Amino acid sequence: MLPSIRRGIWRAAAHTLNIRLTPPHRRLCTGDGGPAGLADAQTVFALSSGYGRCGVAVIRVSGPASMTALRSMAGLKHRLPPPRTALLRSITDPRTEEVLDRGLVLWFPGPHSFTGEDSAEFHVHGGPAVIAAVLQALGSVPGMRPAEAGEFTRRAFQAGKLGLTEVEGLGDLIHAETEAQRRQALRQMSGELGRLYQDWSRKLKRCLAHVEAFIDFSEDELIEDGVLNQVDTSVLNLQTEIERHLKDERRGERLRSGVQVVIAGATNAGKSSLLNTLCQRPAAIVSPIAGTTRDVVETALDVGGFPILLSDTAGLRDSPDLVEREGVRRARERVEQADLTLVVVDGSHLPPDDGEAAVFLQDHLSGVLPTQDQSHTDRCLLVLNKVDLLTEETKQKLEADLSRVPGLPPLCFISCHTNEGLQHFLTELHNRVKTLCGDPLSGAPTLTQARHRAHLQQCVAALAQYQRYRDADLALAAEGVRLALTGLGRITGRVGAEEILDIIFKDFCIGK
Amino acid sequence: MLTKKIVPLQSFLSVVSRRAGHLAGRHYDVIVVGGGHAGTEAAAAAARVGAETLLVTQKIHTIGVLSCNPSLGGVGKGQLVKEVDALDGLCGRAGDWAGIYFSILNRRKGPAVWGPRAQLDRQRYREFIQSELLCTPRLTVLEGAVEELMVTDANPQEPGRHRVTGIRLANDSDPILASSVVLTTGTFLSGSLFMGRTTSPGGRIGDAPSSAGISNTLRDRLGLRMGRLKTGTPPRILKDSVDFSLAKFQPPDSIPSPFSFLNTHVRCKPEEQQSCYLTYTTPGVERVVRETLHLNCHVQQDTKGPRYCPSIESRVLRFPGRSHQVWLEPEGVNSDLLYPQGLTMTMPPEMQLRLIREIPPFHRAEIHTPGYGVHYDYVCPTQLSPALQVKSAQGLFLAGQINGTTGYEEAAAQGVWAGANAARSALSMPPVTLSRTESYIGVLIDDLVTRGVTEPYRMFTSRAEFRTSLRPDNADLRLTLKGFEEVGCVSSFRYQETVRVRDSLQEALTALQSLTMSPPAWRKKLPDIRMSEAKGNMLNGMEVLQYQDVSFEMLESVFPECLSPYKEFSQRLKIEVFLTFFHLSKRDIERIQREENMSLPQDIDYFSLPVSLSVEVRQILDRVRPSTLGAATRLPGVTPAAIVHLLNYVWHKGQKEKRAHKRQLHQKEDREEELSARNAS
Repeated sequence: MLPSIRRGIWRAAAHTLNIRLTPPHRRLCTGDGGPAGLADAQTVFALSSGYGRCGVAVIRVSGPASMTALRSMAGLKHRLPPPRTALLRSITDPRTEEVLDRGLVLWFPGPHSFTGEDSAEFHVHGGPAVIAAVLQALGSVPGMRPAEAGEFTRRAFQAGKLGLTEVEGLGDLIHAETEAQRRQALRQMSGELGRLYQDWSRKLKRCLAHVEAFIDFSEDELIEDGVLNQVDTSVLNLQTEIERHLKDERRGERLRSGVQVVIAGATNAGKSSLLNTLCQRPAAIVSPIAGTTRDVVETALDVGGFPILLSDTAGLRDSPDLVEREGVRRARERVEQADLTLVVVDGSHLPPDDGEAAVFLQDHLSGVLPTQDQSHTDRCLLVLNKVDLLTEETKQKLEADLSRVPGLPPLCFISCHTNEGLQHFLTELHNRVKTLCGDPLSGAPTLTQARHRAHLQQCVAALAQYQRYRDADLALAAEGVRLALTGLGRITGRVGAEEILDIIFKDFCIGK
Repeated sequence: MLTKKIVPLQSFLSVVSRRAGHLAGRHYDVIVVGGGHAGTEAAAAAARVGAETLLVTQKIHTIGVLSCNPSLGGVGKGQLVKEVDALDGLCGRAGDWAGIYFSILNRRKGPAVWGPRAQLDRQRYREFIQSELLCTPRLTVLEGAVEELMVTDANPQEPGRHRVTGIRLANDSDPILASSVVLTTGTFLSGSLFMGRTTSPGGRIGDAPSSAGISNTLRDRLGLRMGRLKTGTPPRILKDSVDFSLAKFQPPDSIPSPFSFLNTHVRCKPEEQQSCYLTYTTPGVERVVRETLHLNCHVQQDTKGPRYCPSIESRVLRFPGRSHQVWLEPEGVNSDLLYPQGLTMTMPPEMQLRLIREIPPFHRAEIHTPGYGVHYDYVCPTQLSPALQVKSAQGLFLAGQINGTTGYEEAAAQGVWAGANAARSALSMPPVTLSRTESYIGVLIDDLVTRGVTEPYRMFTSRAEFRTSLRPDNADLRLTLKGFEEVGCVSSFRYQETVRVRDSLQEALTALQSLTMSPPAWRKKLPDIRMSEAKGNMLNGMEVLQYQDVSFEMLESVFPECLSPYKEFSQRLKIEVFLTFFHLSKRDIERIQREENMSLPQDIDYFSLPVSLSVEVRQILDRVRPSTLGAATRLPGVTPAAIVHLLNYVWHKGQKEKRAHKRQLHQKEDREEELSARNAS
């Protein structure tokens, strides 16, 4: 295209397609020696430090929009940050102005940066919730997208910024990485999700083949228009299917809004005491009178860096009291929606005989949980409270006996009164929440999620493009299907032979 | 501007034969062997670049012959014709001169995949090409059969194991010397013709194959890997014997669109265009094919034929029980023959007659020339560089079917590029390459030299990853400027014209952008257009032209004073504006270009390269010798780790060269300082 009209076209394109783009003329690459080939490259961001619980997390941004990101998120709208100097700022979400964290920001104008491009770093607190929030906020800045694996290294290499020894080392690393990647892909692909993605990918390939055949051959071979109608239907179905999948996918949202943990059980088992113990303040009224808690008491809590929303509910019993009946209804509703239910049992009520104790607990569970199927027991933790009232022998005997009973959820013996067993309970809770928030197999749960999500969204958008151009310009429509396939390919790891360089750096030292 | 006068052929031949006697022992920059689509384009391109060029062909009067179908262009192929024209090649202008039926295929599928196509008058096409070659300065044409390709030891300064020095003609003891030789032997290299059960040596009916000497040199002396492919042509039918009332009339475009960027119209008047017809095969056709299978050597052979332009035999055998399309195409204004496209066959002539009479419009048809098949040698094209030079033989270039392609357009495209590079090599200029991101020619050559062929290669639009930017309408902007500035194969006349077009388009877009109004104001000006924009958004002319039902003419009629100077570009502007909004593949283009730019030296000894590469990878790299890192990534069997080591190598080498360059600069500066100091004293 003609270079001098690019500016207008960008503006017009953004306008017509109703999307926000960073026009190339607003590029903020300040260095004169920046890599020329990257003129219109997008800006990428990624978590650069290891994932998981850590003191400080480093999020790195590289590309022309780095300055925009830094300015809009670190409250630097009216002044330039000094280069390569750490500044303590409140980091906000540019959409809502909500403060996400307080941390250090650094500005590295190109070409004097790791990648040779304009870069920025955000040093924030290492909790997954904070990291996820900052990554999301970055994603909302125009012209930004999550980095593909190894993209920082790749950009650095292309800018001639990588030392020779580093490149030397790449070979060996990649050999090991490709093997690990193969195993990881195998693991992912043998699952339900893998089968789903591969099925989509197969369908898309078929669609693309049909459209291409129609373009290249329909004028001198017999290819009926019906071929395209089939493609129309398939594309529409796929689009709906992927959209639904994107909506159903709740893990990311869990991390955003917190894991829903509900405390439930019979009256006077010590549910509100547990809540107060956990949040270390008297959030709920505690009394020896059964039925003290009548409504749901909610409190937000941080467990090992993961956000949880803890709800204390009314004790479950049949009550003639209208208000308490409503409280019980709400309690049951909460249990149904919960990601994790803490079933609190008064330990002193347990029958001393080991066989009977198990039956008692099973009965109790069935009274609390909506169904007895595996999915509910899987999302449940049994808390035996008031162990200070038991003798040491009884407690040990119970512990030994109940751990042998199959089908019973994990058990914790605690005393909200003496804090006995609390540490063990917290560890158990942390583990369960961690599992709920991310895939324990991959080291970077939300990151993988975010990338998958981005690629799937790209896929859906590309399919919409097919629909939009289907009648006006079939070549553009076909381009949409191609793009959708590439998007999926980036998840399933099945990318074309042309993209070997991409594969090299894929899932390889991301952001490092 | 179609002002070309055809030079009478008589004078042409005499000029040539007068020269022929003095050629032995003479030295040319470039010799082109073969006068088909690849050969003529190669010779003309070499001469345009500035090389003294000799075109050797068996028969001068068959230069520019359309051996098979009387048509040019189509989906994918039309793009190639436009690109050859943009590089100042011949076939686009020849098509405009000889075309007698024009249509743009895929008209409803978007401008990127439009397929400009024309039926040609065979006689006129040949005349145009021959007269054009005659008018080309620095080009000599010689009639004769090449007996031998002269090869000697390589120049040790350059990569390669051998060097070509010229050719020797049959019955001529003295060789004709040249710095570069372009072989475009088509189907003539060890060609054999098949009809029924008879086989005879030949490259085309009535023409002998090329000498075994060339084949032997390529195979034995140069050690090139060769393969065998097949193709075929249908019988020609007497027009008078065809009942057109039983076929479906296919009208041409009412206004023919020229192939060439230099032409505003074609020679043939719109109303004088000929007619094409469409008909279908019947179950009787399938019956005849099955009954004559035992009489049909060509079909039984397992040599690879074109999957996309198959013989009627292979069609009905592969898809039994279906009816297949047959196009009835005119052979020329004054020809009494008809070309039945889709009926390529190799059965005995009497069976061919039986077969065609099973098709309704041919129920009383007579055959003028029966169809036949041809087998020929090709050189596995992975042994070529992207400049189409044989990597192991300095100065030897190949183009056309010898590289495993099929089709006039594919041949012409390679011809231009091989010819230009042969000339550059002879004139000691560095080779030039085209990337897949900028042209179909680049896609074609990259596919050939990095992937090779398993069947005759034909161009499709789906082979081009970036086809929305590689359009027939913008081939001039993509290639003419580069062709003039970097390659030297484009005349300054065409260059000036393209510069004018480029500047006008830019101005027109600026003018469109300057027309800014609110949606209600636009609605008042263009009452028929549905405009969904909100009231507050100002719209400029370019954004309005985006609307599907807005044409440039509509805007021009509203703002004549501002836009009428650009009326001639109305269609291009509409396409440009519509498609440039589509930026999505831009990032990919840039990435590929960066990778393509990392070149791998051709003289690497992969076996002694001091990096960790497996023996298998070394073998693959040594065999294919990819010219860029991008090409290396496309090679099956080259592992990611190997690519990283190559990256390292390229990078390391690049740094070294940069340092050496800097050192040289410093030394130069030092010397200059020294000199000036001395002068001052």
